[in-house]
Amino acid sequence: MTGKQKKQMWRAIQSVLIVLAAFIMLVPIIWIFLASFKSHVEVYQLRLFFTPTLENYGTVFEEPYNLGAKLFNSTIVAFITVIFAIPIATMAAYSFSRFRLKFETTILVVILATQFVPAVVIILPFFIMFRDIGLLDTRIGLILVNLAIVMPFAIWMIKGFIDSIPMDTEEAAMVDGSSRLQVIKNIVLPMAAPGLVTASIFCFILAWNEFLFALFLTNRDAVTLPIGLALFRGEEGDLWNLLSAAGIIIMAPMFVLALAIRKYFVQGMTMGAVR
Amino acid sequence: MRDQTLKYLLVLPAVLVVFATAVWPLIESLRFSFYQGRTDRGDFPQNWLGFENYTWAFLYEPPFWNSVYVTALYTVVTVVLTTLFALGLAMLLAPGGKLRSGVQTLLILPFAMSPALIGVSFRFMFNPEFGLFDAFFGVVFPPLADVSWLANPDLAFAVIVMADVWGWIPFLTLVLIGGLASVPQDTIEAAQVDGASGWRVFKDVTLPQLLPVLAVVIILKAIFSLKTFDQVFMLTNGGPGTATQTLSHYIYITSTRYGQVGYAASVAWLMVIPMMVLTYFYAKFVFKKDDAP
Repeated sequence: MTGKQKKQMWRAIQSVLIVLAAFIMLVPIIWIFLASFKSHVEVYQLRLFFTPTLENYGTVFEEPYNLGAKLFNSTIVAFITVIFAIPIATMAAYSFSRFRLKFETTILVVILATQFVPAVVIILPFFIMFRDIGLLDTRIGLILVNLAIVMPFAIWMIKGFIDSIPMDTEEAAMVDGSSRLQVIKNIVLPMAAPGLVTASIFCFILAWNEFLFALFLTNRDAVTLPIGLALFRGEEGDLWNLLSAAGIIIMAPMFVLALAIRKYFVQGMTMGAVR
Repeated sequence: MRDQTLKYLLVLPAVLVVFATAVWPLIESLRFSFYQGRTDRGDFPQNWLGFENYTWAFLYEPPFWNSVYVTALYTVVTVVLTTLFALGLAMLLAPGGKLRSGVQTLLILPFAMSPALIGVSFRFMFNPEFGLFDAFFGVVFPPLADVSWLANPDLAFAVIVMADVWGWIPFLTLVLIGGLASVPQDTIEAAQVDGASGWRVFKDVTLPQLLPVLAVVIILKAIFSLKTFDQVFMLTNGGPGTATQTLSHYIYITSTRYGQVGYAASVAWLMVIPMMVLTYFYAKFVFKKDDAP
């Protein structure tokens, strides 16, 4: 075989491998997607061809499953978590980015470290406290603990965005007599806006998919979508067609959001350690 | 307002939130770990026990040691497999082009799937009667076709590993693609001109340059593997028996099913120790870069 042929063959092998990898990555998603359109009979048979039905998507919203209530809880909890987290994180991120603070590194390391603490460790005190003050199984309780998850990511991500805004415009405005707060309001916030949207989406996805806190702290009124999946484990086993439909309802909006901020996903996850 | 005051005022709310939602509960759970604490007995926590919860875990609790073993094995296996697969995939995808960038975009999708949902979908696929794997092996390798994956301790462990590796490969791949992009192209070309084989170029030029990025993803993956809960809960719920019971799952069970919050807190705190070590190394990487001129 000549060198050229060898090279061509290697290229072909690479393409096949890439397509295969993409396929493997998608199989579980496609599998649930297909199952969500199968009838409760067909889902227990292994068939590639079936008559698609939208019935499952209706059933999950009816009694006794009431997925709508969980959808509502998830939406409220994720939204309000983000609404609290982003302004607070933005203020802190600006300060970390533009000033030298005493104990700056220590504070940032502590914030970083809290992200790595296993949720089971911090959930126990919350459980006891919420039980005592009546916040168990409430959306307010969930929002509070969700802040623990999103704050570190939000601060680090937004700090990254503000770091990348050049300081000249700010300095020029201050020479012209603007106060620091005016500069933040009129120059920094508008320039950082795309970054703030990105961080908000990232935090929304985290809060939406949060599982362990919701599992510990809710049982009826404030149950969120991921916990709602347990509804479909009936006495006669798992109701796979309904589980799948619920799964698609949970992940579809997150797909759209994840694609929207895909450029920044890695940065968010690694807290800027890799760029 | 003077900047001196302002800079601390801006940070204050965030510090308060982090303190209230993470630092305080962490300290509080450390306190719990020294008490007899049972949720079913009214006032909490009850008697001061000193280190008894810890010694109890070490001396009298085979399930504790089992979950330590499961978690350790799980962490090592998932870190190694995820890193290797992701490195291979990153090498394949890094050169760019239409197909490659299309696949890179697809890699974002599994992020949107919560670990709990990944657990559900793998339980579905490994169902021995109508699961996808059952069908796949029926065609490819019939002896494996009717195996009850989730009923066999070793196979169930393999399945939770598969689910985890599947869920994390995309993230690690994307990070490593970013890392590969920053390896200077001219050194690679220079090595190629000198007649180095593909493998030599990878081993002597690419890999050393990639090491810092690899270190970061390995530390991150180890942290997330140690904490694993969601997909295990949904996929095997620790079973069969305790074959797939990770530390997080063990803590969950002892505190909810048995109400032993004090004991659970002591085990949770034992988990914090390796986490702190890993965080220390991670922080070193994050801040080393920031201090660079």
